[in-house]
Amino acid sequence: MEAPVTDDRLLHQRVVGGEEAALGEIYDRFASLVFGLAVRVTRDRTASEDITQEVFITFWERPLAFDPDRGTLRAWLATIAHRRAVDHVRAQERRKASVLGPRLVEPEPERLEDAVLSRQEADGVRLAVGKLPDNLREVIELAYYRGRTYRQVAEELGLPEGTAKSRIRLGLRRLADALAEEGA
Amino acid sequence: MNNDPTRRLYLDALAESLEEIAVEAPKASLRPLTLTAARVRRRPAASVSGWTAPFAGRIAAMDALLGEVGEQDWGRETVEGWTLQELLAHLAAKDGLVALSVGAPVLGPPVTVDEALARTAELQEYERRRVPEQTRRDWRAQADALCRHLAPLAPGAPVEVSGFTLPARDHLLARALETWIHTSDAAGVAGLRVPDPVPEHITATADLCVRLMPLTMLASGHEVPEGRAVRLVLTGPGGGRWHVPLHPGGRAARGDGPADATVTCDVVEFCFLVGGRAAPAGLAAEVEGDPGLARDLLHAAPALSGP
Repeated sequence: MEAPVTDDRLLHQRVVGGEEAALGEIYDRFASLVFGLAVRVTRDRTASEDITQEVFITFWERPLAFDPDRGTLRAWLATIAHRRAVDHVRAQERRKASVLGPRLVEPEPERLEDAVLSRQEADGVRLAVGKLPDNLREVIELAYYRGRTYRQVAEELGLPEGTAKSRIRLGLRRLADALAEEGA
Repeated sequence: MNNDPTRRLYLDALAESLEEIAVEAPKASLRPLTLTAARVRRRPAASVSGWTAPFAGRIAAMDALLGEVGEQDWGRETVEGWTLQELLAHLAAKDGLVALSVGAPVLGPPVTVDEALARTAELQEYERRRVPEQTRRDWRAQADALCRHLAPLAPGAPVEVSGFTLPARDHLLARALETWIHTSDAAGVAGLRVPDPVPEHITATADLCVRLMPLTMLASGHEVPEGRAVRLVLTGPGGGRWHVPLHPGGRAARGDGPADATVTCDVVEFCFLVGGRAAPAGLAAEVEGDPGLARDLLHAAPALSGP
């Protein structure tokens, strides 16, 4: 379940005000999700523990990078975790590549830790949408790029609303798989 | 490049995948490791409970902001014609004067004049010869030293700072309000947003602001006879109701009482009005009862705000 936004707001206020106990509460609430996400992308528990630690420390150290008016804390932490996990996998690849020959991928510059997608991340999402099977791509494009509601998607495609809904969810899940594969 | 729908799609896909992740806790020792490492990267507030907490919280928030400002922001003008570095020296100067009064350590050159603007000038001159990071470190150390010194003491003990005697708690709440307001000034210049204090700290700060009303009326030349009072209804998180007798020496308190007027406005806006950061005429306040008394109260409210 998504935590209520007012709750995010208060936790954020407490962290900005330097209250360590608030970071402890945030850790207790989200550590398993952050860790699970990192394991899914890196398939490496040790690296995922480092990533988990880094995600929460980043929130504590730079709490103003999070803006509760722009999204939930859960989404913010997930974005940073995914980003760090993909960075980890890419760094591993670079390490392997540098043994074999010239560097294939340029290291990325330090990014501002906000939830705006980099061009590369956005391209990755669009690429993954393009690779979805037609029936899933169609519903995702309508729902996200044409701003249709579930009901409108169903009407336009002549589908029962429940079917449209479950296709969208399936599409999202496939996308998440593709994004997790991005580094692997 | 507008990637808003893509961003939403990305976040929804992540959220969807989180639903099906076998939730698996990292090893238990990761929690204390994480919290310890966090403490090293950013110092926690000097206190999080008790009467010094509202001040300590604003210091931690200002420090979080200072961690985000770029090199070019330090030389940028904030308020009073001061750069951010000079503004910080001003805050350190006033924290230092409270420290001097209560026998806490005072950082920087020895205090020659026990007066806010003179000490500000003294400390600004000293800090201008140093790099901003040093100014930041000493400002934080001064505030934390003051906080640690006061925390075990009685909040009601009268303290004289620059000829002004108030309970220690009120001097520190005034420091909290000033730090809050200058953090907002600095955030505006750097193009950043800092969230409000937690509701209980807002309540404590608003309570000080409300209790200053008889004094601000007097300072603005309103000789209010005994018996005249206003009901202040401050809305939003941390708000509340106060009964405010306005004659000289009147003691405002939480709760209700007979009042000639009721003024309702946002609690944060009220604090910023008292702190000199809002025009009384522009304040979104609802008034019932005697409009003249309410207007006098709002117009007098910033009377004690200085640099």
